[in-house]
Amino acid sequence: MCAAIVPTRAIDETKSEVESVGLLERSGELAALAELLSAARKGSGRLALVYGEAGIGKTALVRRFCEDAGASARVLWGVCDALFTPRPLGPLLDIAHDAGGGLAEVIEAGGTPYEVAIALERELTERPPTILVFEDMHLADEATLDVLRLVGRRAAELPVLLIVTYRDEAVGRFHPLRLVLGEVAAASPVARVRLSRLSRDAVAGMAGTHGVLGGELYRTTAGNPFFVTEVLAAGDEQMPETVRDAVLGRAARLSVGARRLLDAIAVARPQSELWLLKALVPDDIELLEEASASGIVSEAAGAVSVRHELARLAVEDSIPANRREALHRRALELLAEPPSGVPEPARLAHHAEAVGDGSLVATFAPLAAAQASSLGAHREAAVHYRRALRFAELVPLDVRAQLFAGCAWESFLVVEFDEAVAAQREAIACCDQLGDRRQQGAALSFLAQLLWQAGSLPEALAAVKESLALLGEHPGPELVTARCQMAHLQLAAEDPEAALTWAQRAQQLAADLDDAPTRIMALQTVGWAEFYTGGSGGLEKLVSSLEMAKRSGVDWMAVMACVIIVRTACRRREYEIVEPYIRAGLEHSSLGDYDVFRYYLLAWRSMVLLARGDWAQAAQVAQICLANPCPFARIHALIALGLVRARRGDPDAWEPLDEGLALAQPRHEIQWIAQVAIARAEAAWLEGRSEDAIAETDAAFAEGAAGTWWAGALAYWRWRAGADESIPEVGEEQYRLEMAGEWAAASERWQAIGCPYEAAFALLDADDDASLRSALAEFQRLGAGPAIRLATARLREIGARGVPRGPHAATRENPASLTRRELEVLDLVADGLRNAEIAERLFVSERTVDHHVSAILRKLGVSNRLQAVTEATRLGIPAER
Amino acid sequence: MRARARRSILRRMPRYLVERTFPQGLEIPLGEEGVQLCRSMVQRNAGEDVTWLSSYVSADKHKTFCIYDAPTPEAIRRTAERNELPVDRITKVRVLDPYFYA
Repeated sequence: MCAAIVPTRAIDETKSEVESVGLLERSGELAALAELLSAARKGSGRLALVYGEAGIGKTALVRRFCEDAGASARVLWGVCDALFTPRPLGPLLDIAHDAGGGLAEVIEAGGTPYEVAIALERELTERPPTILVFEDMHLADEATLDVLRLVGRRAAELPVLLIVTYRDEAVGRFHPLRLVLGEVAAASPVARVRLSRLSRDAVAGMAGTHGVLGGELYRTTAGNPFFVTEVLAAGDEQMPETVRDAVLGRAARLSVGARRLLDAIAVARPQSELWLLKALVPDDIELLEEASASGIVSEAAGAVSVRHELARLAVEDSIPANRREALHRRALELLAEPPSGVPEPARLAHHAEAVGDGSLVATFAPLAAAQASSLGAHREAAVHYRRALRFAELVPLDVRAQLFAGCAWESFLVVEFDEAVAAQREAIACCDQLGDRRQQGAALSFLAQLLWQAGSLPEALAAVKESLALLGEHPGPELVTARCQMAHLQLAAEDPEAALTWAQRAQQLAADLDDAPTRIMALQTVGWAEFYTGGSGGLEKLVSSLEMAKRSGVDWMAVMACVIIVRTACRRREYEIVEPYIRAGLEHSSLGDYDVFRYYLLAWRSMVLLARGDWAQAAQVAQICLANPCPFARIHALIALGLVRARRGDPDAWEPLDEGLALAQPRHEIQWIAQVAIARAEAAWLEGRSEDAIAETDAAFAEGAAGTWWAGALAYWRWRAGADESIPEVGEEQYRLEMAGEWAAASERWQAIGCPYEAAFALLDADDDASLRSALAEFQRLGAGPAIRLATARLREIGARGVPRGPHAATRENPASLTRRELEVLDLVADGLRNAEIAERLFVSERTVDHHVSAILRKLGVSNRLQAVTEATRLGIPAER
Repeated sequence: MRARARRSILRRMPRYLVERTFPQGLEIPLGEEGVQLCRSMVQRNAGEDVTWLSSYVSADKHKTFCIYDAPTPEAIRRTAERNELPVDRITKVRVLDPYFYA
């Protein structure tokens, strides 16, 4: 799909005096930008964010800065459109037009954000240094944001000063721009240039030169530069009360014909090409010079636009409704057959929307959706589909089904699961009416995926069962997909055997079909089910499926393979293999522009970093994920962040852990509930709240965690909190070893897995100086506050010397400084048990018991068991119960 | 103006007390060097939206208690590392003034 390159920005050629005066009080900001540019000139790129409220003069500042830089730097400038739904890669079209060359070629060929970013980087290295401006990024489409993310993260290595301007009041907590800026800031140095309003003095100064009262001007405008400029330019006797009034006041001084021309310019977004203007208002076109002279509009590169968005809005709003509609309608007709021969779907959709004619919207919005999707602007694609679907009854049933399905897919990719589910249900209803069982079955299968993502496993299972029932009589690729989907859901329900059965059935069917993607999917699913339970062939199959997907160019399947490998390997704590697949998954997400997977993979990375003890990085990566609303990504990021804080003893650990609980609970899925419960139990225990720790695990068991992989960790924390229960037969071995008293073996296993914190933690059960000191050293290295205190206390308990905070004298309760373990053993010795029996009772080896008994005898200063018991009674050592 | 004030109330950042231990004793150089040192610390803090409000030093100069406004405890730790300052413990705090109860 080709896009004609149409530039949008209008560089100011005739700057009126008022405008240049309006750059008062910006010398500090200009100096800051100049400093950044000199760094960029030396090859060390910088990113500057220029932001503030509407009309604060962001564009004016950057324009002046570029002029001041003069010939010392090349300027590439792109503006984001204020269409109802922006054109995908809007600003890049401008930039490509300026730069030409390879970048222009890539854009013409309909390149993805990834390809565009690479071409842009090449362009930046070829002709340094460059000032690259992205204007009005609060309006940016998803594809442009992706390019910004990709280029921004590498800015430090390019000879570029990347300036991003935006309106900060338009950028809320979950605004996509905030997310991208957060990620970029983590990789490149970012300077923030926040523009503030003009001071009273500056306004008074400007007022003075125009013979206006400074105080009144300041009171009306509050120092907003645009407002001030408009008021002064209008030159009315009466001070206008709002920006709108000021702009309309200025417009009112135009002749009738010029005003009609202005209306047409305001309507045609993002700008009016001259040919369009001539066709829209043929009688008034000669008055263009008058309109330009007034300063409201500006001209560049064969197109005209209203100089400032606030002004444009004011003008467009004030056009009488029927005239406005007529202009939009005519613009739509003309733009549908432009002289370049290539219409721009997004602009057509915009005008159709403005006309409000259902059949027009239903015609043009889907075209815009398809274009946006192909360019990776999925958010915009979803909006276009939704617009079209308001008029769903106007299109035939089969088209309607496609539109609903398209809407569901795009909504899914931008993590709007509820919207996706609603749209998919409608698609299914259409297929039902059409009697297309195959399509219906396929749609039900995808619905199951959506329902699962949106948080309802039982509903998902119901949907996939319906799908299987329908497709049973129509064996084909759709049935393979449905069986794979069933297998996925069985894994989510912690039933790996059922999952494997379904996966194998899928594979049998796929073998008979001649469809590569289907075979890949079936192979992937079998591999997953096998890897889940540690079957050796599982990982190989998954890797095979990844290779096959790469060769066939099916990006989303390649990403899926990586995602499956990463999550399953992490679950099994096979951390060494994880990182390369995270990287591969991220790369394929970029290629295909699948944000929904990106953050999921990053969340797993934060979990791996947590396990490896790289807590600062874990927290940082987690924060990146948390700027995004996708629950799947959030939950692991929340667990990682919560545990980093809890293990460090930092405040605010419970905020992420509470949110994790809130996300996990409604889903009723064991794996989520268990993981959150385990983290919460650990955090509560570290704060000394053992009862709460046990209560957290209760919740997980209530959900059915007993007998699953998670039972080990859950039982472990109950044990640590003092519960006296049997050791489960399932779950991770390290936990079971620790519960059995085999702390040394457990610690070694943790070490082998690559978990230094857990390895040291296991040593807390030791009663020898060397082990405890090594644990203390590790905790100090990691910065684990609570664990440091625990290790120090244990060292004092065993009577070690040279432990921080002074030597610890034997207490009255424990005059011989026997450890808890030793008291336990002594108690059993007093009951008359032999070492072998004691070993059985305490789930330790006999050699360990021998060791403990020797220590007891030594500490009590006696030489046999009977004396030990007598001496203990004499000292009043309480029996350990 | 009112809109901005309203926003700032809603977005007020958490306040943290940071305890530090300086085994060799804290020494900030006098004169221009000291001024420069503090200035560069403030700049590094600004990069993470961390604001150093005030510090209290023990008589023997081995311990300090510092008050910061910061978005997260991690931001405090990152800037501390960049400024080469130790962090013993971070506690979240709220201001409690005597005259409040007068």
